Amino acid sequence: MATSTATTVDRDGLKGSASTSAEASSATVVTAAPGSQLPGVLGRVGNTPLVGLSALTSGASTHHAKLEGYNPFGSVKDRAALWMIMDGEKRGLLTRRKSIIIEPTSGNTGIALTGIAKELGYKVEIVMPEKASDETKQIIRWMGAKIFETSDDLCPKVGAGTDQSIALATSIASSRPDTYYSPNQYASEANFTGHYMGTGPEIWRQTAGRVTHLFTGVGTGGTITGIGTYLKEQNPDVKIIGCQPQQDHLIQGWRNFEESAKPDLFLRREGVVDDWVDVDNREAFSQVRRIYESDKMLVSPSSAAVYACMAKYEVPDGSCVVGIFADDGRKFKSVYAEQGVMTGDEFDRAIKAARHVPMPAYGDGESAMM
Amino acid sequence: MSDSTEKVLDATGLYCPEPVFRTKIEIERMQVGQMLVVSADDPAAEDDISRWTTRNGHELLDMSKDGAVITFKIRKAK
Repeated sequence: MATSTATTVDRDGLKGSASTSAEASSATVVTAAPGSQLPGVLGRVGNTPLVGLSALTSGASTHHAKLEGYNPFGSVKDRAALWMIMDGEKRGLLTRRKSIIIEPTSGNTGIALTGIAKELGYKVEIVMPEKASDETKQIIRWMGAKIFETSDDLCPKVGAGTDQSIALATSIASSRPDTYYSPNQYASEANFTGHYMGTGPEIWRQTAGRVTHLFTGVGTGGTITGIGTYLKEQNPDVKIIGCQPQQDHLIQGWRNFEESAKPDLFLRREGVVDDWVDVDNREAFSQVRRIYESDKMLVSPSSAAVYACMAKYEVPDGSCVVGIFADDGRKFKSVYAEQGVMTGDEFDRAIKAARHVPMPAYGDGESAMM
Repeated sequence: MSDSTEKVLDATGLYCPEPVFRTKIEIERMQVGQMLVVSADDPAAEDDISRWTTRNGHELLDMSKDGAVITFKIRKAK
């Protein structure tokens, strides 16, 4: 059973903030986590729950999951998207109802940027490899963004996959600097700041300063360096542990640093990572069902991978371990069927019975699939 | 094919790979046999557009340079 620190923490203070004036949402006045100061949907970014993981919590240690699927557009990337857009406004690079935000991304960042930018009055164009998941493309189109699909034969000298998308987004933005703004989550300091000002303090508060270990995957490095830097400033003994997927992995949003370069944003503060744990596809996918059975949660592949790392990492008695669950399992029906995790029917039953699969602001995705 | 079916794409002022990307989109929208005339002034477009055209089985009928501007005449072949 979870101890008192494993209690679900309410998303406190959000209702009161809904009456905040539109002016207060201007980036220039934001000095703390913007999620608590913005009106409407944007006021729901951040302040995600921390819940106990009953099968891992035993003896004198407690294990918890920070459920980023509770962000309005369904993932941890809402934080980066919000902070990067506000940073662009603060620096005078974005003008509402005039600027177009363009970003190369094939996953949650596209959904988050589209949802948040639309709320703030920006058009969005997402550049992604044509082989990216149809579910994600449909959600992004349905939310109103234009999608440019790149293929590997376009300009072979820049590389394959996402590298083609990065090249095209960069070329489109650089020839029209007055119209386009590309936040570039792999280099944007605002991506780090969102976690340093938001996720880190939330975890410190939710564990009443007792957190001893943090586990998370690494894509841009914003999450691990932002939370890690903040927690170590509060207590230098907190251990920051990065989860590394196998090469040619199936964990959306993560990078294996033997096959992909370390992003600039990560390199700026990589010293914050104390240790790494490897996790392969099989280990990660095998945990999805286990977590559903033990905690009645339907989690994403990356959350299951974090869970697998937490499960095999020995911690001293008295530890308070937190893992970042970047999104929930809602978008992974086809992936789980392909990987033999659960059939489509089993998935449909699980999503109805599961706890902590909140409805995102764009709906259940059914409309997007029509 | 008569000249009236010829399409024109002005990709001057755009940086690669956008000119080849716009060429690809335009070709996809055309009928087999139709002609596309593309002009671009990013030097990288010379390689990008000519290689993309032949790699994808279309015909590069002509490529000429006037100062910095490169003009490609492409026939959609499939």
